[in-house]
Amino acid sequence: MDKLAKQLREDADQIKVLITPELENRIEASLRGAVQDNAASVKGRQSALFWWASSLTGVAATLAIIAVVNLSKPELETAITEPPQQTFSVPKFDWKPQPAVLTQTLEQELVDIQSDLKKAEQTVRDDIDEIM
Amino acid sequence: MSSETALIAAAKRGSIRAYTELVSLYREGLLRFLVSKSPSYADAEDALQDTLINAYRFISSYDSKWRFSTWLYRIAINNLSRIRATEPASKVELGDLSDEEGGPLEQCIAASERQNLWLSAKRILSDEVYTAMWLRYVEDMSVNDIAAILERSVSWTKVNLLRARRQLDADLNGMPAKKVSQAYG
Repeated sequence: MDKLAKQLREDADQIKVLITPELENRIEASLRGAVQDNAASVKGRQSALFWWASSLTGVAATLAIIAVVNLSKPELETAITEPPQQTFSVPKFDWKPQPAVLTQTLEQELVDIQSDLKKAEQTVRDDIDEIM
Repeated sequence: MSSETALIAAAKRGSIRAYTELVSLYREGLLRFLVSKSPSYADAEDALQDTLINAYRFISSYDSKWRFSTWLYRIAINNLSRIRATEPASKVELGDLSDEEGGPLEQCIAASERQNLWLSAKRILSDEVYTAMWLRYVEDMSVNDIAAILERSVSWTKVNLLRARRQLDADLNGMPAKKVSQAYG
């Protein structure tokens, strides 16, 4: 150890400090407080853990009950609930033509026109006979 | 050393008695260090209390690759930085006034023929380099440990320790020494 290092060491020893009983008590009290804080936080963590565990157990029990109730239903119901089979087929069309059904008024009109034609034909024949 | 290991193991298991016995080896040296860094003796006592409580809270994270004292000083220095960062401006002013009247370091130093080197060191060196010197020459810490505590490189620590020695040597021999904060960084 060189001279300066030795002197620095000696001078540090010249700094007189004292751990008073009051300070010692204060530190000890703070330490006990820290221990209680730690214990309280551990207890808090444990109670939170317990809450989570009980909640999860409840959820699991509910799910189990739902599963059991669903599994115990009669088989027929299960069959009924099966989806219907879907078949695909091309629709067939019947192309047989049907005669038009005329209404009564139109039939009468046709008869009248035919009558008019006969009358017009007869008139034309009479006129020809007259000229000849 | 083995008894210290046993005490650490017991403290990790939650034994207050083991922890109290363990830190009783270091608390006086720690208080001496804190007195030299705090604006008042009461602040140094508060800082010691906070350090020991924090160390107890986090002792489960203590890694035995470090010396226990290194770990403890690291907590103490972090604590001091935190206290200074959150200290209100009014308290800083009060601290300055108390320094004018003679700070806790001056009050704790026994009367001597010559001036205490740590008073010179506090006057000449920056706060960080002062800490590095204390850890090196009072606590016998390795340069690597000091670098780790200060969160500095090993090179920075070596260079600044050397410069600080030169400055203190110059002051000791009555040569004018100007305050240099740090080598770099």
